[in-house]
Amino acid sequence: MKLTEVVEYLGCKVLNKTPDYNNIIIESVGTADLMSDVLVFGKPGMLLITGLNSPQCVRTASVVGASAVLIVRKLSVQDATIQLAAALEVPLLHLTSSTYKTCGLLYKLGLQDSRGESL
Amino acid sequence: MKKDVVFLNRGHTLWQAKELMRIKKISGVPIIDKKRCLIGIVSIEDIIVALEKNYISDLLENHMTKSVITVAPEDNMEKIIQKFNRFDFGRFPVVDKNNVLKGLITKNDILETILGQFTIIYDHDVRREEILNKEMEWFNKSLITGNTLDKKEADFEFHIQYTDVNLAGMGAARLKKFLNSKMNNPELVRKASIATYEAEVNVVIHSGSNGYLYCWFNDKEINVRIEDHGKGIENVDKAMQEGFSTASDHVRELGFGAGIGLVNMKRYSDKMVVVSEVGKGVVVEMSFYNKTGGV
Repeated sequence: MKLTEVVEYLGCKVLNKTPDYNNIIIESVGTADLMSDVLVFGKPGMLLITGLNSPQCVRTASVVGASAVLIVRKLSVQDATIQLAAALEVPLLHLTSSTYKTCGLLYKLGLQDSRGESL
Repeated sequence: MKKDVVFLNRGHTLWQAKELMRIKKISGVPIIDKKRCLIGIVSIEDIIVALEKNYISDLLENHMTKSVITVAPEDNMEKIIQKFNRFDFGRFPVVDKNNVLKGLITKNDILETILGQFTIIYDHDVRREEILNKEMEWFNKSLITGNTLDKKEADFEFHIQYTDVNLAGMGAARLKKFLNSKMNNPELVRKASIATYEAEVNVVIHSGSNGYLYCWFNDKEINVRIEDHGKGIENVDKAMQEGFSTASDHVRELGFGAGIGLVNMKRYSDKMVVVSEVGKGVVVEMSFYNKTGGV
């Protein structure tokens, strides 16, 4: 599924757009607040959903090769996080909804689980 | 134990025992038969009673303690100390399986042994300190190959700053970019970057010091070395256990410190060596092998 479709469906605020933003495909979705966990199951092409709003979430996403980061739950995102997303060319999205609701909505779309578990 | 034990026979008198104790300045004497087998013991308390009751000239065999608590030559310290605690005696004769007297052990012997051990431990600590201060060998040699490292020749170098937690992982991100520009093996580079990221975060959140990240690569492998001169790891084995962490709440809020960093590094690397000494720092070296053939 295209990233732009996900953004539209969830009504995300886009904090950082990369040059290829319109063509990015989301292959799977995973969620964790613990970045070490992301390092364990993170897959290239995934959408990372996290409640962590510090720059570390973007850096972790970049290292595992995630296609985009969606920060949920938090009312705001640190400027440093947005700046790093721009520097590392990681699309950055924001929603104030809960992790549960966000994941539930994406589950309905049939997006794959990044840990490889069947839905 | 003391092997040159003074002893008496059943035919000696209590008075002779008293004189022997006075001259030798001892508080108990084992009594043996002709075959050197232990048959009893007489202590200074027995002598006092004999003086009071006026039978000091009697033979030992009439007044000695016959059911003697003994220890065996092969008994360890723990067992002997237990016996001292259980029976309130100042000494135990040491006898073999055939009840032949081999020596005598006193509370003083135990104390001397313990003090001796203290000296050994102290010496060991002092020597270790000397070695560590003399040459920090592990800071200059590869932990995996044992070769002396020329860090100036590293293909990639990054100075890890610990003062800003938000910068943790910058080295790994740069390393990823660098390696991807030099080789076409995204999966291998990804593995190296993830493990490096964890190692770099460890330096920032745990070491309390700046660190260095070095990388060497060729078409067969990527080697990464992360070192710091900070606090060090108290117990590497424990640190390697999943879930073990000494991280602060602040670190946990940043999405790390759950005690899986070292486990992750091991998971992604093909070889990993961690060397650390408390107060001296940590060196982590990891190798990632190209298993696909060409780079």
